[in-house]
Amino acid sequence: MTDVMQAPGRLDYPVSPHARKGGLQAAQRRIGMLMLAPAAIAFSIIILYPFVQALGLSFFEDTLQTIEPTFIGLANFKAILTDPETWQSFGITVVYVGGATIGTVVLGLGWALILNQPFRGRRVIRALTIMPWVVPSTVSAFVWAWIFNSRFGVINGVLLELELIDVPQAWLSTPEGALAAVILTRIWRSIPLFMAFFLAGLQNVDQEQIDAARVDGAGNSAILRDHLLPHLRPVLIVVVVLGVIGGLQDFDTIFALTGGGPVRATSVLSISVYRKAFEQWDIGMASAMGVLWVATLLPPAYFYLRMLVKGR
Amino acid sequence: MFDLSSRTAKLVFGGTILLIGFYLFFPIYWMIISSLKANEELYQVLPTFFPRNLTLSHYWSLMTESQLGLYLLNSLITSGASATINTILAIYAGYSFAKYRYPGRQPIMLFMLSAQMFPFGLLLISIYPVMTDFGLLDTRPGLILSYIVFALPVAVYMLYSYFSQVPDELIDAARADGASDFRIFHTIVIPISIPPIVTVFLYSFMWSWNDLLYSMTLIVSEDKRTIGPGLLLTYLNETNADWGGAMAASLVVSAPIVAAFMFLQRYFIQGVTAGAVK
Repeated sequence: MTDVMQAPGRLDYPVSPHARKGGLQAAQRRIGMLMLAPAAIAFSIIILYPFVQALGLSFFEDTLQTIEPTFIGLANFKAILTDPETWQSFGITVVYVGGATIGTVVLGLGWALILNQPFRGRRVIRALTIMPWVVPSTVSAFVWAWIFNSRFGVINGVLLELELIDVPQAWLSTPEGALAAVILTRIWRSIPLFMAFFLAGLQNVDQEQIDAARVDGAGNSAILRDHLLPHLRPVLIVVVVLGVIGGLQDFDTIFALTGGGPVRATSVLSISVYRKAFEQWDIGMASAMGVLWVATLLPPAYFYLRMLVKGR
Repeated sequence: MFDLSSRTAKLVFGGTILLIGFYLFFPIYWMIISSLKANEELYQVLPTFFPRNLTLSHYWSLMTESQLGLYLLNSLITSGASATINTILAIYAGYSFAKYRYPGRQPIMLFMLSAQMFPFGLLLISIYPVMTDFGLLDTRPGLILSYIVFALPVAVYMLYSYFSQVPDELIDAARADGASDFRIFHTIVIPISIPPIVTVFLYSFMWSWNDLLYSMTLIVSEDKRTIGPGLLLTYLNETNADWGGAMAASLVVSAPIVAAFMFLQRYFIQGVTAGAVK
């Protein structure tokens, strides 16, 4: 567990000595490629081909009405980029991903700091923390939909009891309420993973350094500010990048909880693309929108890949 | 790390535990409790936090009236099969990346890794017509194949990082004894790699088990429906408001995967953070 955070930084482990030995080299290469082949083939069929295909489709008019897809150049992109709904989706995506990432970083870090502290029952709590992350997305949607339920939801119940509201609120039927609910659900689902990253980072902190600082009179907040947070910066970057990528990819949480509604209030890019493709069957437009979606993924993805290759 | 001897520190520490702990665990508690409440108690504007009476009636109706058993079986088949295929592919690819050098290795590896960032929804747009062309739409093999998308890149990376740490001396010693590469891999490397292999299997399994998007789109027939869309269509429509049933079903489909992850937690966290992946 000592240097798990170092691992993603190195793609180039030292070359096996036997891979270099003279006459064996060609045979070794062949075996290596042979072992890679099944995965590479599966990968090409299931990931690479569809991806290239989708990029290509974005230049075609392809709906159920059209018999043969016709090449229309950049027309789909023009239509997508001038459609106010696209920009609305884009804005919702930014709020959703940004809100969820910030929320999860704060709470995941807080939880990691807590679980890094020795106290009774820590092991049990650590083990239980994984739950929100591994329950199926449909389940998390059910649970939160029930919590936010307009008639018998526990949130309404508590607020009524505390007399903070007079009548039950239909949280999921208002644009702000629905967006807040999907963000809260997303944060809930991601805390365990973020916590695991932060905890892995915290376990590399040099305890002697902390002890020395304490002898010098550093309080808890000084230790957090001057030692723990600077030490966690690389982890923080990984976590934020992964949070942004995961949030941009996410479909299930929102679809199951609000279906993208009310009206279009929670319709992030993934939902819009899905709607265009599988409800309106406008494959060309959906692909173009998907390309835009990929474009928003590119900066964090590039950043992440660079970290993988170069280390930090 | 922190000194908790002062009163303020204790308060901050305790307060944070309560706040985040409540957020994390209350929904789980609420799911369990709601599944055990009778309808009279469930549908109250002011809810009871500690139920007055517990009943298994929602579980009973799940067993007798719902299709949950069918959905579970379908999910078990598709998730089990896709996780198996995925794990086998990843074992060889991971080992190949870790221990062999050949032209194109680095770019292929990078490309595979980057695939975990492709939006799955976009891939689905073109997987759909491919599945249609090959007659795989609305079939289990089609769904199983398309599930490779989710976990293959991560699975490869997790096993790659693990195999990279297997000492070369071990392999060289076996090679000096005249064993072939495949034999060394199968009889020496794989047996010492069971924990990461199980982790990767479980990770792949979880992806398919939890999936909603692909199963909802690629499967139409009710008899092949998996748990994600199965539950959604059963409980989350306008007319049905059987929340007790929904919570009971939620618990049933979550329990096996949660239990498996708790059991393998240590390897799992290590694998995931090492892979720096979702």
